Amino acid sequence: MARALARTARPALVVEARTRRKGAFWPYLLVAPALAAFACLLVYPLARSVVISFQHFRLGELIRGGAAFAGLANYAEALGGPEFWAVVRRTFLWTAANVVLIMVIATAVALMLPHLGRRMRLAVMSGMVLTWATPVLAATTIFQWLFQSRLGVVNWVLVRLGFDSFRDYTWFADGRATFAILVALVVWQSVPFAALTLYAGLTTIPGELYEAARIDGAGPWQVFGRVTFPILRPLFGLITSLEVIWVLTCFAQIWAISKGGPGGATATLPVYAFQIAQSLHRYDLGSAVSTLTVLMLLAVLVVHLRRMFREEGA
Amino acid sequence: MRLRLLAAAAAFSLALAGCGSASEPGTSGQTGTTTLTVWFMRDSLSDAIVKRFTDDFQRSHPGITLNVQSQEWDGIGQKVISALASKDAPDVIEVGNTQVAEYAASGGVRDLTGKVADLGGADWLPGLAEPGKIDGRQYGIPWYAANRVVVYNKDLFAKAGVTSPPKTRDEWIDVTTRLNKGGVQGIYLPGQNWYTLAGFVWDEGGDLAVEEGGQWKGALDTPQALAGMAFYERLQALGKGPRDSDEARPPQADVFGKGDVAQIISAPGGAVAIEKANPDLKGKLGFFPIPGKTADRPGAVFTGGSDLIIPEASAHPDEAYEVVKALAGEKFQLDMAKEMSYVPNRTSYAGVLSGDEATAAMAAGAAVGHATPNSPNWAAVEARNVIKEYMTKVLTGGDAATAAKEASGVITTILNTRS
Repeated sequence: MARALARTARPALVVEARTRRKGAFWPYLLVAPALAAFACLLVYPLARSVVISFQHFRLGELIRGGAAFAGLANYAEALGGPEFWAVVRRTFLWTAANVVLIMVIATAVALMLPHLGRRMRLAVMSGMVLTWATPVLAATTIFQWLFQSRLGVVNWVLVRLGFDSFRDYTWFADGRATFAILVALVVWQSVPFAALTLYAGLTTIPGELYEAARIDGAGPWQVFGRVTFPILRPLFGLITSLEVIWVLTCFAQIWAISKGGPGGATATLPVYAFQIAQSLHRYDLGSAVSTLTVLMLLAVLVVHLRRMFREEGA
Repeated sequence: MRLRLLAAAAAFSLALAGCGSASEPGTSGQTGTTTLTVWFMRDSLSDAIVKRFTDDFQRSHPGITLNVQSQEWDGIGQKVISALASKDAPDVIEVGNTQVAEYAASGGVRDLTGKVADLGGADWLPGLAEPGKIDGRQYGIPWYAANRVVVYNKDLFAKAGVTSPPKTRDEWIDVTTRLNKGGVQGIYLPGQNWYTLAGFVWDEGGDLAVEEGGQWKGALDTPQALAGMAFYERLQALGKGPRDSDEARPPQADVFGKGDVAQIISAPGGAVAIEKANPDLKGKLGFFPIPGKTADRPGAVFTGGSDLIIPEASAHPDEAYEVVKALAGEKFQLDMAKEMSYVPNRTSYAGVLSGDEATAAMAAGAAVGHATPNSPNWAAVEARNVIKEYMTKVLTGGDAATAAKEASGVITTILNTRS
């Protein structure tokens, strides 16, 4: 959803700008379905969620209707408890760990690709496209099987290698192990998109620049720092922003593997909001947490996006 | 790609409809024919008995047509809540007895307190009647129960020289230890079978949570509950059940079907799945009640089962009540008990079960049946996997008292959340 929107948002704006000049009616008609869908599927639920966050809205109100205005009570409850702040810290740790790993690995893969032979490059790229094409829940299920305590292949390999303490080791009973497995899963799923996009960016850099840098005596690190990175800076910025959005709002993988457990060790903000809303039927408090999540995400991204647009404009 | 096309098409039609959802006209017919929608859970009844009931009911109630639909357990909570909140809810719904309190408290379920006498509610099974009752009002009508028994492999018992099923916990441990030799697992007990743990806790006189003066308190950290957990740990070690999984992952019937497991804890209906997994085991399955601390009293068990509810949003509450009355009545109950090996909803019907080993074992346990804490929020405790995570923590070497204290704290918080 987010990907599709990110891709379509710009053409839509361009079309709109042109129409104003010509005063034609057609373009409006053509964007109308997309805008209507956007309003129904995104704006309406978002607005409704914000409204609910200011109401006393629980199971009874869901079924009988007639929710009363509650002011800021839900926000006060969310912000006042220690649990919320623990979840926020965990969410930032989760996002930072994932995004850093994704960007480092993706950059390394993208820089490696041009140096591979044709067959090998094809193999690596096919592998990445397949990884990317694997449905989220299918990949998640495979990871669950890999780390299964009694029949999982990871424990089998570790025991074979002589680490006997991993016989029947219960990965998903330990908070940190579950967190690490989820990071591995999300990084594995996200690297292909970032790596392939960066590789596409790399191929647009003229070879003469590298040649010139090397003649001037630049080593590999300097070439990257002085040539590659500055040219691809907008691309790095865009991919990092997208990964921050996707990782922070990541839900399906966490819910399928751990439902936020064990003991809340993998409850990030979206999972926490869903737990509150769906299992406790505190739709009001869950909406408040969701709204706070969106605000936090905006705060993180606005700084970044503003700098990016300014650079692009300059 | 197809998905995106579909989404585009859906978006377009939505745009045309202008975000509005057209209210569907009710299905109530023109001249006297009423169609009632009834939701049963998947596999809770065989097709044959559903057909028998539908035909019989429609014959005795001309003008009413039944539309019976079967629902999946997975995600049923959200589905029922959406139905209760909607304007075209089904007329009768089968709901699990641990979930009925949540629905009843929501205000979306018809109050049937006035009909209890008409339905013969004096000797309903308490494990079904209590969860359906909130503040003295009866919302859920008991339908059927099934509790867990020990299913065993007669061949393996004979090979180990065990001639009669154990009657006490000590005998049970003793027998299971003798069975647990060579390639055979004495018992396959996954670490997160919390219904079984609940039984052991009740045997010790403890509970999962207790209510005092309107306030709930998680009780896993009481000495009684810890003793129950300690027994679970002893028993669980006499086999290779995974400590971080429950009886559904992998399906324990399939594990038992491999033939090297001497015992599992399951509802008698589970025998059908075992025989399906391995037809060679047909006729080799035995059943006995979960042993208690002493021979004169079988182990306490969790009474699993279902209640029937009529949503407030049902367009035909009177006709819906006729359906409930027929389903909860003697004729259907006896037919169902025989066909499905269930415990009928009234103790006075229990006689029908004698003569069958599986149901007799179950009925012995049902007499000391317990329900989960009667709070609308109990479903949330289940959804958060609190007890399952606690069990895994203890079984993988964690300190039981600390883990129990933590889990009890979470249960206390959840149960005291006001809705």
